[in-house]
Parts: sequence; C-alpha cells; structure tokens
Amino acid sequence: MTKQVSLPVEGMSCASCAARVEKALKAVPGVKNAAVNLAAQKASVEYDPQQATVADLARAVLELGYRVPAEEISFSVRGMRCAACAARVEKALAQLPGVCEAAVSLPAEAARVSFYPGTVTPAQIKAVVRELGYEVAEREGAGEALDRESLARREEIRQQARNMLIAWPLSLLVMLGMFRDAHPLFLWALTTPVVAVAGRQFFVQSIKGLKKGVTDMNLLYATGIGAAYLIATINAIWPQAGFGGRGATFFESAALLTAFIVLGRYLEALTRGRTSEAIRRLLQLQPRRARVLRNDREVEIPADEVIPGDLILVRPGESIPVDGRVVEGHSAVDESMLTGESIPVEKKPGDEVIAGTVNRTGFFKFVATRVGKDTVLAQITRLVEEAQATKAPVQKLADFVAGHFIAGIHVLALAVFLFWFFYGYEAFFRPDSRFILSPYGLAEVGVFGFALLLSVSTLVISCPCALGLATPSAMIAGTGKGAENGILFKEAVAVEGLASVQVVLFDKTGTVTRGEPSLTDAVPAAGFSQDELLRLAATAEKGTEHPLGKAISRGAEAAGLAAEEPEEFEAVPGHGVKARHRGRTILVGNRRLLEREGVPLTPLLQDAEELERDGKTAMLVAVDGKPAGVIGVADTIREEAPQAIARLKEMGLRVMMITGDNRRTAAAVARQAGIAEVLAEVLPQDKAREVRRLQAEGYRVAMVGDGINDAPALAAADVGVAIGAGTDIAKETGSVILIRSDLRDVVSAVEIGRATMRKVRQNLAWAFLYNSLGIPVAAGAFYPSTGLLVSPELAALFMALSSISVTANALLLKRFVPTFKKGR
Amino acid sequence: MPAKGSSAALLYTAISLAAALLFLAATYATRKPYPLLARLGGAAWVFLLSMIITMPLVISRAARRHGSPPPS
Repeated sequence: MTKQVSLPVEGMSCASCAARVEKALKAVPGVKNAAVNLAAQKASVEYDPQQATVADLARAVLELGYRVPAEEISFSVRGMRCAACAARVEKALAQLPGVCEAAVSLPAEAARVSFYPGTVTPAQIKAVVRELGYEVAEREGAGEALDRESLARREEIRQQARNMLIAWPLSLLVMLGMFRDAHPLFLWALTTPVVAVAGRQFFVQSIKGLKKGVTDMNLLYATGIGAAYLIATINAIWPQAGFGGRGATFFESAALLTAFIVLGRYLEALTRGRTSEAIRRLLQLQPRRARVLRNDREVEIPADEVIPGDLILVRPGESIPVDGRVVEGHSAVDESMLTGESIPVEKKPGDEVIAGTVNRTGFFKFVATRVGKDTVLAQITRLVEEAQATKAPVQKLADFVAGHFIAGIHVLALAVFLFWFFYGYEAFFRPDSRFILSPYGLAEVGVFGFALLLSVSTLVISCPCALGLATPSAMIAGTGKGAENGILFKEAVAVEGLASVQVVLFDKTGTVTRGEPSLTDAVPAAGFSQDELLRLAATAEKGTEHPLGKAISRGAEAAGLAAEEPEEFEAVPGHGVKARHRGRTILVGNRRLLEREGVPLTPLLQDAEELERDGKTAMLVAVDGKPAGVIGVADTIREEAPQAIARLKEMGLRVMMITGDNRRTAAAVARQAGIAEVLAEVLPQDKAREVRRLQAEGYRVAMVGDGINDAPALAAADVGVAIGAGTDIAKETGSVILIRSDLRDVVSAVEIGRATMRKVRQNLAWAFLYNSLGIPVAAGAFYPSTGLLVSPELAALFMALSSISVTANALLLKRFVPTFKKGR
Repeated sequence: MPAKGSSAALLYTAISLAAALLFLAATYATRKPYPLLARLGGAAWVFLLSMIITMPLVISRAARRHGSPPPS
C-alpha cells in the first residue's frame, strides 16, 4: 500500500535544484516515485509507509541544503487527567505521518504541533486527539479562555468536593465500625456508596479508555478500589470462600483508598489551577469595557468592539482597554503588571499606552492603534501560554517513564501477586502481620487475599502522577514568574537553557550602551567658561539632525542652557557645522573643519586626545577663529550595566561584549561596564560566527542583544535574549524577551531560570525517590523482616501526598524574588 | 474499523485467558493445597491484569499494521 504526499520545498532556484531534490527523494528506501514542481516549490512523493516516513523524506531534502517549511498549530485538549493521558496524546500526534514535533501540556491543557503542510492537515491532527476520547477546542481569546478555564476548574473542584463529602464521613464510619467489630453487612452498606458514587469517576473513565484500548491512572485506581471492594464483599457475604473470612473484610481499605484518591484529586485540582496563575492574572488585566468617543458622545462599549482609530477616554484609576497613542492629557500609568517596572510611567501626547495597564493620576484621551488579539497584552498572554505548552528537554525522561508506567505497573503488580501467591506467603507469612500505622492483625488472611493486598498496594503506590507533574508544574510557575517581571520565556527549553549558560555575550550598541550618543564632557579653552562653550556649541547645532549635534543640544538643555537660533547656519558634510550668531562665527566639528578654517588646533589637541582615549568622540569648538574648547560625546553605557554585569560575574558566568566598533571605543565602554573580555570590530553578519566559535569551545552561550538587529546571533546562541522589546514583542527573535531595556532583567531571567530548574530537579528527585522507595515497600520487600505491610489506603495517601508535594514545591517559586527586585 | 478492532480484541482476550489458565495450571502443578476460590480468584486477577497489560499493546500493534495512528 503506497501513500502520496505533497511536500513543500523551499530554496530551489533552478531546474537542476529540482532534479537534485527529485533524485534524493527517489533514493530514499520505500519511495516509489517523486516529482518536483519548481514553480510550486513542491515535491509530490509516492512512498510505502512501511518503509519510509515523511520525516525520512524531509531529511533527504534538508540534507541537500533546501528547506522543508513546517507549520505550527496550537489547540486546547480537554479531558486529560494525568501525565499518561498527555503522553498518549503526544505519542499519537507524533506518530502521524507529516508531524515533525508534538508537545502536549497537561497543566496548560494545550497541544502544539509542527507539521509539514501537504502531508497532514490540521483537521486530521485534531481528529486523532478526538479519537483518543479527548475534546479538542480552538485556543480562545483572553476573555473566553478565562471564563472557560475558571468554570472548568470550579466545576472540577466542586465535583471532587462533593465526592469528598460522601467519601470521608462514610470512610471514617467504616473505620470506626471495624474497630467496634460492626456487622460486615453494615460495613458493606457504608462502603458501597463510597465506591459507587465517589469512586464512580475512576471506573467510568477507565472503561472509556479501555474501550479505545488505552490505559491511564484511572485504571490503576479502579483496579485497586475494585479489587479491595470485591474481596471485602465476598468475605462479608461468603466468609467461607477462602479469601480470609470475616476477619479480613478490608472494607476500610476500599473506602479509605477511594477517599484518599478523591482527596488527592481535589487538592490537585486546587493547586494545578494555581501554577498557571500567571496566565490568569494576565487575562484578568484585560478590561472588559472601554469608554469611546463616537459622534462627539461618550459611549461605553465592550473592549473587543473597539476598532483601531477609535478615540478612547481614560479616567484616573481606570484600566486601559486597548493599545494606543495619547492625543490629549497627561497622566502617570502603572505598567508594573506587564513590565515589572514599579514606578508609574509619565504619559503625554504622542506616548504609547498599553492595554491592561492602569491610569493612576490624570485624565487623557488616546487613539486605539492595536485591538483584540494584536494588543501587547494579548501577545504576552499568547507567548506565555505557548511557552507553558512546550517541554524542556529535562522532561523527556519523566514523560517516557510516565507514558510507559501504567503497563509497567500492572506487570509489576502481576509479578508481586505471583511471587506472594506461589512462594512468599508460604515462606514468609507471619500470624502477627499487620498494616503500617494500623492496629489490625492480618492473621486470618489467606494466600489469595494476602497476595492480592500486596498487588493492589503496589498498583496504587506506583502511580507516576508526581513524575508527570514534576517538570511542567515548575516550568509553569517559572514562566509565570518571568512574565510577572517583564521577562517572557518563549519556550520551556529557554528556561532550562538560561539556567545552564556559562557565557553571557552582550551586544554593545543599544544593549550595554543606550544606543544614542549623549554629551559627556565640555572642556573649555582659556577665556571661555564651560557654560559659555556649551551654549555656543548648542546654538551652532540648533536645528541640526546629526546625532552628535543633537546630543550637544540635549546636553545643553539638560544643563539648563538656552540655545538661541543662529542667524546663519551651514552644515559642512563630514566635518561639522559653521554658524553665525550675534556677529560671532562658531565652528563645531572635527580637526579637519578647524584646519580648513585656519584655527590653531594645538591648545585643544591634548584634551581631544584624552577624550578619544576614553572612546568618546571629540568635537572641537572655535569662536571667531579662536579655539574655544572641546566637547566630548559618546554612546553612554546604561547606568545599571555595571551593577548587572557584576552580579552576573558573581553568579559564576563569563561575561563578554561583542561589537562592530573599533577596539579603543569598545574597550572604553567595556571598562566602564566592568566587562573584561571584548570581541571588537566584528561585522554584524559575523556575530553569529563568534557565538558558534564559543560554542565550539564547549561553552553554552546566551546572547543578549537587540532582537531585530542581532537576530542571527540570537538564533545561533543556546539562548537568545532580546532586550527592550517594549511593544514590539511580535517582531522579536530571541527565545527570551525582555520587555524593558534594563540589563538587570538579564540577571533576573538567569536567576528565574536557575530557580525554576532547581525546583524541577527537586521535584524529579522527589518523584523518582518516592517511586523507587514506595514500590519495594508496597511490594512487601520489608515484610519478611518486619511483618508490616502497606495498606492500599496508606498507599493512596502516599501517592496523593507525592503529587501534592511536587505541585506545592513548584508553587514556592511564587515567593522567589530576583536579586534586583528585592527592595524595589 | 470493526475488523481491526475485533481481531485485536480476540487476540488480547486469548492471551489473557491463556495467562489465567496457565496460572490455574501452575496452582495444581505446585501440588500445594490452595483453596478452590484462591485458585479461581487468582486466575481472575491474572486475567484482569493481563487484559490491562496486553490491550494497549495489541491495539497499538494492530493500528500500526493497518497504517493508521495508534491510539496510544
């Protein structure tokens, strides 16, 4: 049986390219025929799916240096209960021909699938998930998602609370009854509603899964509860059956097992919602209503009905409903919820405002520029959601184990049963046997009851819930913590990557420095004061568009010096400017300008050279043919740079700077910032090569730069950190996006990455430890020496505690405060 | 596809039944005086666990053989 796919191929420029691709495809074992259409940039391939996969075809094309572009879809998957469910969906998606990558997140209830268009359609991808018995839904807008998510969470919590109300009082009564030697039929009557009502969910979901040939945690619970209940019932109704008689009814096992599992589910529903609190908080920022001016009348409309161009009014205390530009009024806006910046930002006409931020003081009007899914808030929410749906490499082992665990646990339970049935009971059974933390004796238990008890306890204690939750719960908390501080991790791999980087490579211009020159020095010559020098230079530069001239004007303005309009102005290209003001001729420029005008340079040379040694640009000033002084202009470093770089070094990281500038300027900037290693005179296109060179030396590199200009280097690095994204999040490349232009956020990002990975490691260690200790204990490894057994209900308690402790440990990340946020 | 589903069901049921019968035979082969209900209960438990173990494996294999994505 052959299949036909149409694979998109990019990068073919001529017929010979097409022929090469065709030949390579035909050489793949299992390919019957291949035809490449150069104009359509598509390869039509007929192949035998038993011998070749779409991935093989794509690999053959990629190896030739052409691209096979993949598309990506994200959708919600509802109804997943455990890590095994997520693993199952992921496996089924990944096995679809044409799918190159699939990631399913249980806590985020989301699937993200990359596929080659033409080989499989989004409808087919979703159909696979539906076939497995899960519900597929489109990713909704912020408001709908919030409603749906909180509704579903409330419903689950309510349902499990109701089950607990049934299970717990009755289970405690059963336990009391066991102590008081109550009649077994009375205990049966109390236990039955616990199993049939509170435990019904496990049986229903197991049967649903089994009908489709799939197994999950519910089956573990159902098998455990069912077996305990059945044996207890047989012993109560038919004591002579040989299962231990009335002395071994174990109704409390069936009842408490159910009660503990329900408790676990309840607590899990509570905590699982909390790990994705960041998304909820972001969604809640979105105001539902907007006050719009239409036909000169103020009307209140739903925020999603605002269209670009609408004029919106915002009063003090109100949230800004959409993105826009202020046209009238002044105010201070609290942007902390999006940028992490605690000080309100002044807004005046021409400034941008962002949806979800809060107007603090004044009243203003703004024009809507971005609405709905295009707002910065919606983009941030989408990014965080997408990041939370991805998986870190560290999760792969846990997923593999969780995904294969269910069958493995049943094999283990079978082995435990066979061992104790055929050998263990006869060899080790002691009449003084009892359960851990229980006063019951197990003297009357027969071989079948004994082996079954151990088998059931093993089933229950082995549940890999904790293992499945260990990484995603920490990742969700970590990415949420990032979002809270204006740090957006695009994927979980970036969190893991940032935690393990060894080199942080900063781009200079716009990253370590502000990216625009500013006035640094004004050194007057004899006969001139500093203020006079600056005022004259600013007057000459008044109106100039040159960045150096503008830096002088801004510097004079900042110093409170008023520059006047010159009567005559001449820009001398490549030299500087010449102006006349109140009868005086002012020259501001380089040496060549002054030489050309016959001004003696000697008195200024020493100062000029000193400034240049510090990496500054020296502008010489002359008035009426006499040297008046030297003005230093430089791209100044960000004031927080030395502090941030010192902290990175303290954290054991190697900090370097890369720039296209000359060595002298680069060294001067690096010295001020506290960076010892500089890669200077590197052309923009060669920055990525430098990153790869460091990687070849064995370093894991984080590149920090402007997300747009430094895109190749950011992409080449292990982690690309795009700084100062502001409102242009969508344009950014890097896998970590910093909304603000603050180098301290780089430190915070690394700290959050490390804190998250610490939690992941703690969680994984705990989950593995729990399972590796719990299983032998439940299987009776210590029974021969102690005579103690783990009861099924105690196994359920341990299982619930392990899941809850992992999620609760991840929740502790909420208390994590990055160094530079402390005290801010 | 019902044919695919029923042949898979037949296979895992047969395997599980065989495991249960093997268990039953083993209880006699060991010549230990197990009560009848322990033998039957044990066989039922072995059958149930075997079904749970083999069901996803058999269905998955059958799905692969028929060229459609397996359910697990």
